[in-house]
Amino acid sequence: MKKSTILFLATLSFYAFMNHGGGIYKTNTGNISFYSHTPIEDIRAVNHKVKTAFSSESGQLQFSCLIKDFEFKKALMQEHFNENYMESTTFPKATFNGNIKSIAAIDFSKDGTYTSEVIGKLTIKDVSKEVATTGTFVVSNGVVNAKATFNVNPYDFNVKIPKMVAPKISKSIEISVDSDYTHNH
Amino acid sequence: MEPETINSNMKKIATLSISFILLGVLLFAYRMYNKPHTNVTESDAYEDLSAAQLFDIFDKNEDSAMTIFSDQVIQVSGTLLTKDFSNELEPQILLKTDNESGFIRCGFKPDELQILKQLKDSSNIKVKGICKGINGDDKLTLLEDKDVILSSSIIIE
Repeated sequence: MKKSTILFLATLSFYAFMNHGGGIYKTNTGNISFYSHTPIEDIRAVNHKVKTAFSSESGQLQFSCLIKDFEFKKALMQEHFNENYMESTTFPKATFNGNIKSIAAIDFSKDGTYTSEVIGKLTIKDVSKEVATTGTFVVSNGVVNAKATFNVNPYDFNVKIPKMVAPKISKSIEISVDSDYTHNH
Repeated sequence: MEPETINSNMKKIATLSISFILLGVLLFAYRMYNKPHTNVTESDAYEDLSAAQLFDIFDKNEDSAMTIFSDQVIQVSGTLLTKDFSNELEPQILLKTDNESGFIRCGFKPDELQILKQLKDSSNIKVKGICKGINGDDKLTLLEDKDVILSSSIIIE
């Protein structure tokens, strides 16, 4: 094959790849919130500086967020959460490393709404557990919004809750993820 | 004075004292429960560093840096790399460091947005905020770049 033909095919492949939106989608301003409901007290906290990215080819999806960056309405709750339960100076991050199972079914070059199972390992306080949920992916003008909700038991991640306050904290904490990804050229 | 009268007075004093102590404890508990978040504007900075210095400290030894700086109000000066208003709930800016894949990411309350919009890229600025740690993980191949995070930030200069 002539050099010029190879160059032409390589250029064509590159443009086809770019138009399909292949590659890494990323954001550093993702949102993760959690909600604990008990008859005694509801607790909510949110983090707006979540670092997250996924590969539109392999479907690999990753998250990293700082535990200390979760904001609570009450300062005292935030203090207890960090110092007593999460020990966030020693275990500063929560991470997720997993896969978007139906990545091939998502057309990143066309606006639309897609759902896919997401499975991966959630690591909190150096304890990794597999979590699975259904994610909703909305492609709009090149931005991909991903939303997912799943529940975790704090005791699975070695979160030590004193007996006195245990009735105030749910054993099934709802975690919600909401991130707008842009193509990382 | 009759002994019965003395006893009655003593009881009243004891009851009043206990009531005052209980009231004090309740008031203290209430104030603790409702204590406000750290006010960055009114807090003195624990440390005044350049963006490059702060990133370097965290990059070299995260454990030690967390012990020293996490939850402390600090002042950081550096060159504005970019403004990131993609999350309307917390507008953010990035300061350059000496590391190509390392930044200082400062988050602001939404009411600071107008001030942030006036900042020009590549200008030298000073920010005060609460240090939260360094985000990013070497084990996560898609998230190898790292940000030292400041929250509830305000622009000083």
